[in-house]
Amino acid sequence: MTSVRAESLERERSVGDRPVMTLLDVEKHFPIKDGVLQKVVGHVKAVDGVSLEIRRGETLGLVGESGCGKTTLGRCISGITAPTGGGIYFRLSDVDRAALEDILEIPEKDRTTEQRRTLERIDSRHLITALTGDAWRAYRRNCQVVFQDAFSSLNPRQLVKDIVGRPLRIHKEASGAELTERVVSLLESVGMGRQHLFRYPHQFSGGQRQRISIARALALDPEFIVLDEPTSALDVSVQAQILNLLHELQRDRGLTYLFISHDLGVVRLMSDRIAVMYLGEVVEQGTATELFERPRHPYTEALLAANPDLDADVDKEIEGLEGTVPDPANPPEGCRFHTRCPVVTPICGWEVDDVVSWLSVETDLLESMTAVERRSNFDATLAFADDGSADDVAKAISNGSMPPAMSPALETVSVEGSKVLVRFRPVPPVELEEVEPGHVTSCVLHTSRQRELRRE
Amino acid sequence: MTSTAAAGVSAEGATGALVASVQDLSIHFKTKAGMVHAVDGVSFDIRDGETLGLVGETGCGKSVTARSFMRLVASPPGVYAGGKIDFWSSEARAAGGGPVNLLTIADDEMLEIRGNRIAMIFQDPGKALNPALTIGNQLAEVFYQHRSDELLEPLGPNAPVIIRRAAKQESGKVERVLLKLPPLRSKAAKVREEVEDRVAAALAETQIPNPRKIMDRYPHELSGGMKQRVLIAQALACNPDLLIADEPTTALDVTIQAKILKLIGELQQRRRTSVLYISHDLSLVREISDRVAVMYAGRIAEIGRTDDVFREPLHPYTRSLMAAVPSSRNKRGELAAIEGNVPELIDPQPSCRFHTRCPFAAGVCGDVDPRFLRHDFEHGVACHIYDEPAAIGIRPDELPSFERRIR
Repeated sequence: MTSVRAESLERERSVGDRPVMTLLDVEKHFPIKDGVLQKVVGHVKAVDGVSLEIRRGETLGLVGESGCGKTTLGRCISGITAPTGGGIYFRLSDVDRAALEDILEIPEKDRTTEQRRTLERIDSRHLITALTGDAWRAYRRNCQVVFQDAFSSLNPRQLVKDIVGRPLRIHKEASGAELTERVVSLLESVGMGRQHLFRYPHQFSGGQRQRISIARALALDPEFIVLDEPTSALDVSVQAQILNLLHELQRDRGLTYLFISHDLGVVRLMSDRIAVMYLGEVVEQGTATELFERPRHPYTEALLAANPDLDADVDKEIEGLEGTVPDPANPPEGCRFHTRCPVVTPICGWEVDDVVSWLSVETDLLESMTAVERRSNFDATLAFADDGSADDVAKAISNGSMPPAMSPALETVSVEGSKVLVRFRPVPPVELEEVEPGHVTSCVLHTSRQRELRRE
Repeated sequence: MTSTAAAGVSAEGATGALVASVQDLSIHFKTKAGMVHAVDGVSFDIRDGETLGLVGETGCGKSVTARSFMRLVASPPGVYAGGKIDFWSSEARAAGGGPVNLLTIADDEMLEIRGNRIAMIFQDPGKALNPALTIGNQLAEVFYQHRSDELLEPLGPNAPVIIRRAAKQESGKVERVLLKLPPLRSKAAKVREEVEDRVAAALAETQIPNPRKIMDRYPHELSGGMKQRVLIAQALACNPDLLIADEPTTALDVTIQAKILKLIGELQQRRRTSVLYISHDLSLVREISDRVAVMYAGRIAEIGRTDDVFREPLHPYTRSLMAAVPSSRNKRGELAAIEGNVPELIDPQPSCRFHTRCPFAAGVCGDVDPRFLRHDFEHGVACHIYDEPAAIGIRPDELPSFERRIR
């Protein structure tokens, strides 16, 4: 490493509690195309409005089930894919962040020239999708990724020397004998050595391959690394080695990690703070201890209850969750978890789709349904083949066989011939609120909406 | 080597009838580099109605052991090098018959057992289902294969031969044409109806909503948890005596995993099926099994009742493995990793396979195979510390106390 660079890094890192990554309302929607003309008919909302902050030297854990968008978010942050909405900012100072948030609240056409100029300045320096030239290169070298599957993320036709040396060569850091020496020292820092230089990835075990991936990520001495399930393909004994190594590297080099995993035990061990994702949204975020000791979202509680724990009481049974994750192209209204929540309330966002899925799972009345005419997600007319089944549906709704929290949310149910009109009280999307310093949740049981609930 | 001692453990501690007994099983693989001893003298029993958990890391031979129960290890390159697997089917037991050796019986006998008396659930439900068949057709095959006599019941005792052959899926081209013609068509339809009823019932047992609708679906239309339910329905369709579950929840999310485990547990209790549950996840195995066998590098390191093994692990490997699982008590960076890697199993010399990574290893560990010893009631271990403490220089009671006490 050149001494000038080392010095400048030293200076920057001594600043301490500065944010490395700031995410404001990040969205990643993938278009669904259909038909001969490949017309866009909808969007899969993989990441749907996530705001996070990762500060220097800390580890932020990101947990959630498969398909909740945690990997997509990691890919957006590392610049592999561009988000379709919101902004990801690199090294955004608190002052700039405050200014930025103020400006973003104003509709675009109402902004003054000065505000626009400020916005432009901040974007060009910090917004990763707007970075160009040197700023972009600086970002790329400071943000690295370690992927889950070390076998498919290492080129099988390259030697370890080339794999680990590649970032150095691309950024013109070293060449020739110096490059080899740099690679050797990188390999040594991850517990490997010179004897591994001239081997191919297939000659290594899973743990060693992950070490090579980590060495490659460290090559440019980054300050931030996205760890996307770095140990889930490994055995526990090797996982422990890699987790220890990651901690050592963080301590020695002042690294900042985004640790993505579905393994709660591993996330708890590795993270300072944890964000729990469900269906593209962060539902709860807090310090690792807070989140595990006092979870404030039923989804977090469900994850904890389903996780077999070697230290738990022998008699404690693991509990699963009913149902499946809803379609991210058409996420539920209100709280997105309300379709599976064990403690769901009437104000969680019941909608027409819930009636339809209730009819299909609990009754056989759906067979005779012919159409759903929606005026909104909360208000629709269900058309049936004959008057009899419409009556049956209305009866089923009124005789209390519905989920107990769903019926109070119903505003109107009326039968018109073979049609049933169903209207729910509209509920706005839930928002994250701070329940304790540094601990946010979106569950209505804990946020300001619980007052509304008590009034019910 | 270990067979007599291990058999002793099970025979003395046995509390019920056996379903299967594996004795000194060795399965090797021929490779260019030499003979890989993937399973090397493994012995254990599976009792009637119990769940035996088989844990171990990647490459320790647990899947090969499981597959050998149904003779699914391809040979070549696999070689059934020795030992036997005795299996008592419920029919044989009812008739007072003895066990059959699954490794030596004829192929047609194996066909009768495979999927019928012994069934298997695989790790990846996406790969275990045929993507070109609907769920209904896929499950129907089990009934055609093993329950064709019962399918013919609605037709009475004098069903035509062509229908009989159709119910076994043995029809030729001409017969298939004949089946579509009036005299046989209605009879074939009756068989078809009977099969569909049975498939629907099997699916309903795994709590799949709307089984009739699911039957028309293709595997790619279902979620991972749903696919695994279909596979469980398929495996349990014939009421097997032994269910082998090879990491059935590894590909699933924890919330779905909990549901699937509960389902397997319920069905097992209702049918008194024995389960051989294979997993690499210690905490999961502790949750669901009655007894645990810990495998390392092709051998059983330790076997015992789940409570005993987890409260007082004897083998240094079991102890290290449990310590390596992250816990809330670990400090970051101070996880007790097991240094080194699993040894190569190509033409191994006599030795304890764990000696290269064992914190207590002494000279004898690298030269002599450890014997399998009964430590106390139903708890066996293969480690020199318990056999020749003098040669190791450490007595069992001098081992550092095990820290991960279960509350």
